[in-house]
Amino acid sequence: MKSGTYIKQVNRPLQFYAVLFLIVLYVPVLFLPLFSFNDSIYVKFPLKGFTFQWYIELLDREPVWAALMNSIKVGVTTSVIATGFGVFAAKAITRYSLPGRGPVVGFIMLPLVVPGIIFGVALLVLLSQLGIRLSLYTVTAGHIIVCLPFAIATMIPRFEGFDKSVEEASADLGENAWWTFWRITFPMVFPGILASLLLTFTVSFDEFIMAFFLSGSDATLPMYIWGQLRFPQAFPSILAMASIILAISFILVFLGQWINRDAHSNTFESK
Amino acid sequence: MDVIDQLGELGEGKLSRRKFTKSLMAAGIGIATTPLASSLAQAAADDQGTFFTWGGYDIPELFGAYKEKHGELPSFATFGGSEEALTKMRGGYVVDVSHPCNAGIPRWIASGLFQPIDTSRLSNWSDVIPELYNLQGNFVDGKPYLAPFDWGQTSITYRTDLFELEGEESWDMLWDERYKGRLGSLASGGDAWWCGAIKAGVAMSDIDTPEAFEKIAAAMRAQRPLIRVYTDDTTTLEQALASGEMVAAMTWNSSASLLKADGVPVRFATPKEGALTWVCGLMIHKDAPNLDSAYDIIDSLLSVESGKYMINDYGYGHANSKAFDAFDEETLVGLGLSKTPTDILAAGHFQIPQSQEWETKMNALFEEIKAGF
Amino acid sequence: MMLQKSETLRAYSLLSPTLIIMAIGILVPFGILIVMSFWTQVGFGFDMTPTVANYEMATERPIYGALLKRSLWMSGMATVTTVLLCYPMAYFVAFHVHRNKMLWIVLMTLPFWTSYLLRVFAWKVVLGYDGVINSALMNIGLIEKPLEFLLYSQAAVIITLAHAWAAFAILPMYVSLEKIDRSLLEAATDLGDGPVMRFLRITLPLSLPGVMSATLLIFIPTTGDYITPALLGGPDGVMIGNLIQKQFGAVNNWPMGATLAIILMLSIAMITLVFLFATNFVRKRIS
Repeated sequence: MKSGTYIKQVNRPLQFYAVLFLIVLYVPVLFLPLFSFNDSIYVKFPLKGFTFQWYIELLDREPVWAALMNSIKVGVTTSVIATGFGVFAAKAITRYSLPGRGPVVGFIMLPLVVPGIIFGVALLVLLSQLGIRLSLYTVTAGHIIVCLPFAIATMIPRFEGFDKSVEEASADLGENAWWTFWRITFPMVFPGILASLLLTFTVSFDEFIMAFFLSGSDATLPMYIWGQLRFPQAFPSILAMASIILAISFILVFLGQWINRDAHSNTFESK
Repeated sequence: MDVIDQLGELGEGKLSRRKFTKSLMAAGIGIATTPLASSLAQAAADDQGTFFTWGGYDIPELFGAYKEKHGELPSFATFGGSEEALTKMRGGYVVDVSHPCNAGIPRWIASGLFQPIDTSRLSNWSDVIPELYNLQGNFVDGKPYLAPFDWGQTSITYRTDLFELEGEESWDMLWDERYKGRLGSLASGGDAWWCGAIKAGVAMSDIDTPEAFEKIAAAMRAQRPLIRVYTDDTTTLEQALASGEMVAAMTWNSSASLLKADGVPVRFATPKEGALTWVCGLMIHKDAPNLDSAYDIIDSLLSVESGKYMINDYGYGHANSKAFDAFDEETLVGLGLSKTPTDILAAGHFQIPQSQEWETKMNALFEEIKAGF
Repeated sequence: MMLQKSETLRAYSLLSPTLIIMAIGILVPFGILIVMSFWTQVGFGFDMTPTVANYEMATERPIYGALLKRSLWMSGMATVTTVLLCYPMAYFVAFHVHRNKMLWIVLMTLPFWTSYLLRVFAWKVVLGYDGVINSALMNIGLIEKPLEFLLYSQAAVIITLAHAWAAFAILPMYVSLEKIDRSLLEAATDLGDGPVMRFLRITLPLSLPGVMSATLLIFIPTTGDYITPALLGGPDGVMIGNLIQKQFGAVNNWPMGATLAIILMLSIAMITLVFLFATNFVRKRIS
């Protein structure tokens, strides 16, 4: 990296700002775990005492476990399908001269920007007109649409990050396309696939708006939480559950981003 | 996460790529068949009926009898208001048992989504207070569609230490300028609009007239600047009352009971104009996938044990007359209840079922008013 | 020529599963949404005779226009706040972090991936009547009574949105800052530019594409938000998304809900186009 001398200078105010920024970014979220250990059903200061009670109570609630299983099922299915399609789409976008590439990519990325409520109601209207029952399958369908752009965006840098000529060499050596894909392409982009699986799983696991409009009698975890917000006795265990979800999400996303980190630095530096 | 371990091994050259690909394919097949396997597993779990209800009724305490028989609790789905529930079921959402209230009965039946109840399949039916099921529109061809379960009032819960009462308890409390920004209200028209009618002096039987619409709308518009928040989420109201953020709010019985149990000085008002009274109950979906479980859910909710819990912990009335025997008259009066529910129901204003068009018009108007228009 | 054709074909065959899903998931539902906006709700069913009554009602009754304007204003405020607060952060990581850049990026974007519902919920705990800020200020003795305007206000919604969408602002701005050729900066220094001039003449103009995408990436989705206003907005913070959701719930007028969704989408599209034209114009003028 070409960097001028002045760039190496340390900018104290900016450093201070950066630290402050991170604190403001994280602190609101971290209050949830804090109060989940508080010995009171009301969420307010001062804290009353330390307790595991809410976590223990959580274990006894069967609907929580059912909702958790539902979320995992939806999340796994969504991430596998979105990532599977995403691999092909990312390859097509990066590897071939694609007429109409701009509009196609724009179209695929649409769910990233269109307000969730519009997608939610549009899909709801479609399903109801077709007479399809709302269920975990309809939620999964909604999630796949939301997650595909994330999957593709995660994998594009991976494909851009390695040399096309390796694949061409394999093709020249007489390997067929499928074999080339498995032997060469797949291992090279594998960190991207893994990252995509983890990230899309998290997006699906935490997704609320699609689930709000499209879920049937089986609630996903965020839907269950939404339903429980009404009852104060349940509130602390909701905090406990929220803390667990936060912890899981943080770990998965951190892993995903970390596995894929060199892809990002590749793109950033190659440009 | 053995995939990640394998990734590590792959990186270290321990795992041949072929072996790796193989295990990955196995994982892929495993995942691809998961939905199938789980739908089979679900078929087994699906013997449990699904109860579509407000949050808070999905607790083991109300399903002791059910659990004894089935070994586990029914499945639950929760909604924010019974209108929302009906809309969802009209959209093709199928459950076994749902939980409407008296004002919705004729419209729910007219939707064609429910089946009459065979009362001979309910062991607790003979103990159910008859006034609760002899509701307008409930019997079609001599068969009831709704099995009553809980009844109570929509009234005002207020802080006795913070709200300075002038004269008698009254709906004027929620229109009191002194407490601007410290009053709360339920957001659903099914409660708030009807309470507005009581405040505006509109008779329940006249609520569908254009004049009534105008009068109630005027009352709601006058109240709107005083309200800190409209919410369907009773936790918010209860927490606000507990902290002193609000001094009075429109709530159901349970909010006052729960706050009292927590040591907060509150009273559930008996407004001089009368409170809004209601009866809610259970209906079976016409395509209920687990009809037997549906009857077990209802029977369990109607049992004396469930009734005791409802009365003691939530402060609601229950349909089973025997559930009241565990309480003395004084306790019941303290809760705003009585062994003869007709007294309570007659003393208050009972909602009269309206047409779907009325509901749509009222809700649309109320949404506008809440948003400040 | 032959090669190119087969390449295009292969590219599209690889893309086809995604495109098919997106077509079914986007185009078809949107088509039906448009059709439904011309229907009328009758009790439990629909009258399918096409009519523009819903659009007429949406223009005649003041609430719809007012809420639309308010939503655009609120998400506009949230967007400006987010971009302004995040720009220094992106700048910091692009120019002043030399080791562990990726760690910083991951740290800054991590909260974005976690549940939106829970983050909104967390802000309720922070801004509440006896929430974190109020109880802290009271403990220090700065205030005697809790500040009531923190929760149930437009400000609460704007703060929460700005927090929630920070990652969407940082990433594009970081990428465009990182791409800036460092030698340009050195050249400017050699020509005698101080740090401020250097920033205004080189860094800021060159990072504008990132700022633009950040702006759109936040503004568009937040206009349709309904959860944040529902939980934190109070009566004065209601947005158009809340009204749309109500049409599909308690109000039970799906065609009206469809109409409002389409009006919202058209408004967003129009604003986006104007924004793009305006920034293009400015950029041409600069260069």
